[in-house]
Amino acid sequence: MSRPELQSDISYTKGLAALALFVVMAAVVFAADFGPAQGFPSDANVTESIGYAMFNLDLGSVPAEGFLVAFLLIAVVLDVALDGALYLAKRENEDDETLTALIADGGRTLRRTVADDGVDGDETHGDAADDGGDR
Amino acid sequence: MAGIFDFAPAIALLPLFSFLIALLAGRRMPKGGALAGIAATAGSLLLSLATMLSLAGGEPYHATLYVWAQGVEAVDLTLGVLIDPLSAMMLVIVSLVAFLVHVFSLGYMNDEGETGLARYYAGLGLFTFSMLSFVMADNLLMAFMFFELVGLCSFLLIGFWFRERGPPSAAKKAFLVTRFGDYFFLIGVVAIFATFGTAQFAGSESFPHIAEQALHGEASVNTLGFEPQTWFTIVGLLILGGVIGKSAQFPLHTWLPDAMEGPTPVSALIHAATMVAAGVYLVARMYGFYALSPTALAIIAFVGGFTALVAATMGVVKREIKQVLAYSTISQYGYMMLGLGAGGYVAATFHLMTHAFFKALLFLGAGSVIIAMHHNENMWDMGGLKERMPVTYYTFLAGSLALAGIFPFAGFWSKDEVLYETLIHGLGGSPLLLAAYAMGLLAVFFTGFYTFRMVFLTFHGEPRTDTARDPHGVRWNVKAPLVVLGTLAVVAGVVNMVPVEKLLGIGGIDFLHQWLDGSFEGLTAHHYEEVLPYSSAYLGGETATVAIGAAVSLGLALAGALLAWRLYNVPEPVEHTDRLGGVKTLLYNNYYQDEYQVWLAESVTYPLSRAADKFDQGIVDGIVNGVSSVSLLSGSRIKRIQTGVVGTYATLLTLGLTALLVVVGLLGGWF
Amino acid sequence: MVPPQWYLLLAAAVFCIGVFGVLTRRNALIFLMSVELMLNAANINLVYFSQYWGNVTGQTFSLFTLALAAAEVAIGIGIILVLYRNFDDVDVTKAVTMRW
Repeated sequence: MSRPELQSDISYTKGLAALALFVVMAAVVFAADFGPAQGFPSDANVTESIGYAMFNLDLGSVPAEGFLVAFLLIAVVLDVALDGALYLAKRENEDDETLTALIADGGRTLRRTVADDGVDGDETHGDAADDGGDR
Repeated sequence: MAGIFDFAPAIALLPLFSFLIALLAGRRMPKGGALAGIAATAGSLLLSLATMLSLAGGEPYHATLYVWAQGVEAVDLTLGVLIDPLSAMMLVIVSLVAFLVHVFSLGYMNDEGETGLARYYAGLGLFTFSMLSFVMADNLLMAFMFFELVGLCSFLLIGFWFRERGPPSAAKKAFLVTRFGDYFFLIGVVAIFATFGTAQFAGSESFPHIAEQALHGEASVNTLGFEPQTWFTIVGLLILGGVIGKSAQFPLHTWLPDAMEGPTPVSALIHAATMVAAGVYLVARMYGFYALSPTALAIIAFVGGFTALVAATMGVVKREIKQVLAYSTISQYGYMMLGLGAGGYVAATFHLMTHAFFKALLFLGAGSVIIAMHHNENMWDMGGLKERMPVTYYTFLAGSLALAGIFPFAGFWSKDEVLYETLIHGLGGSPLLLAAYAMGLLAVFFTGFYTFRMVFLTFHGEPRTDTARDPHGVRWNVKAPLVVLGTLAVVAGVVNMVPVEKLLGIGGIDFLHQWLDGSFEGLTAHHYEEVLPYSSAYLGGETATVAIGAAVSLGLALAGALLAWRLYNVPEPVEHTDRLGGVKTLLYNNYYQDEYQVWLAESVTYPLSRAADKFDQGIVDGIVNGVSSVSLLSGSRIKRIQTGVVGTYATLLTLGLTALLVVVGLLGGWF
Repeated sequence: MVPPQWYLLLAAAVFCIGVFGVLTRRNALIFLMSVELMLNAANINLVYFSQYWGNVTGQTFSLFTLALAAAEVAIGIGIILVLYRNFDDVDVTKAVTMRW
């Protein structure tokens, strides 16, 4: 069984940039001054508040802002993303080849022989069966 | 009619409209734009005559029409109109000759089936506009602008038949030679502005007036460290450069004979009567300034006299009729310059007027002969045209008599007065003027000779070729202008018969002198006579000098005419000029002046221009190219950041973010 | 309550691991996973500070960012599909034609 191994044929020098970013962020974090923590009230129903906040209803026990517009927008965005993904996945000559849409080869030209063999094979098979039936 | 001066700009603008009409719609018009030109010049002529009449009974007129550059603590550049006796007279002359040339062109160009007529009439219209505007100009810069514009029109019209070899080369030569002179003229204009702060010709704020005051110590001008007198001489000589080029004086005369490649009506209008007159007219216009400088006057007189003689000698050996007339033009303008330089303002202006008439007549007559001879200009192929073309012959004869200066034709009076003024001012203590007088007198002999040689070879004797035996006929549109100009050549002398006045003691018949006295203060003939540095002396009294002078010049003219009569008024003339031998070769090749100027251009100007070109390409262009190469080089290096690999881009993003955080944190005191 | 520095450090660490993945990995799908990591690092921060300030806005907002992350991955998969079609490989270092 092959086990996960670190890729050895790529250069990791670019990763030093990520390390540098981490160092800088850590430095900023440790030098920062935060105000006193407030936290939630012990008996508050947080999830309920989130739900009320989504619909701009002010019934939750924890204070929140209204997110109705964002809620509706994100619905639209998700819908659009789905359509976009479908569109990108479609191939150019997709108009009449609905059967081959599920073949997971990324859209390269299908080898004719695979489809032809299957069809031809059925036909000959049918003839042979008929012949066999007559005898 | 006080309002007629308000229409003065229309005198020049009418031909401008005919230019535009011919340019834009000429091809669709029946005569190619000729009728528009004729109508426009006729209108200009009528307006000029009306202006002249109005001026006769009134005051001269000066108005600034348009300030095209307003100076901020500097000079103002304006366009304006100056109508005084000199300009009114010139307006009539120019518009009359232009009108007659337009009518003549119907016969010379239209009837001969020439193509490109719209271009021709457009050129004539533009020229007439420019010349009339030049005459009316009230300041030196405006005069310079139209001076250049007439040069351009001359270029366009000389090169009218540009598909042949000769005309475009002649046009280029004319333009370049006159441009060489105009370069000095431009420097002179700038010098006038720098010295006086104004370039106006008339009024108390005009530069001649300020110059006169400066010499008397009443005004202060910027003379760049020179003595005022010296500086005025220098400026006058600079402007003279343009005059010498335009009026074809030695040494810038070489373009005029080549300009005969253009159509003959163009030669009549531009290279005889009007454009070459522009230089002389300019000196007359600024005479109050030139009169202050004896050196400049002496140089003008000497150049004029020298040119008169030299050109007359060259005209003696030419074979083509138009070439003889071209050298004659150069010679006669030499007389005008001699007159101006000698202090004879009225005399020179008189000669300008009569010369415009008789030279235009001679050129148009030559044009008539050329039509008849099927465009063969060689006089040795002509002969015997007297019987076959009577109108042309008699008018041509009238013009020739005027040119030679035979009593009582117009040329006699004007040329005689020029020589008289030169003589008396020379006797009054100027040996240079006496030398110029001698040259002018000698030129009279040659003038008589070549003029009548031309007449006899062309019209007298037996026809020497078939074309001469049976010449092409000419119509009214050729003969009518000839008749008009012929009449003027005969009678125009009446306006200023000074010898008659002096000899017979009749006062008041020097009409032209009185006419030129009726101008603005400072522009009158009387004022010029006061300012001139010459004094007069006589050979035993004034009347005696007049008589002697007239007799000598008339005698020389008749002598030249008689010599030509003896040699050429025979049935079968021969080239007697061959007897001059080597001198003839020298004269025929124009003293090798053309070759000399070409040599100058090739040996002096060309290496200089090559060096200047190298400087321009190497240093000026080099700097610009260097700047661009920095941009190109840096661009070609920096573009390699775009490697196309996503990881590189992400790395750059991350590094940038880190750097930004560090900088903001340091500046904001986060750490 | 855990001091905020630790949570921030945790989020920074997760973020930088995501950045490391984006910078060094060659497979496009692993690339997308690293981007997800980065998004979730931000979510950690949002949720912690929602509890720190006693305001439920942070948590609600993180729900939206999660939804957006999902949408982004959907499109990302589509793009990888097109990438594969054009370059025959999901290796991001192979698709380098948009260059100088």
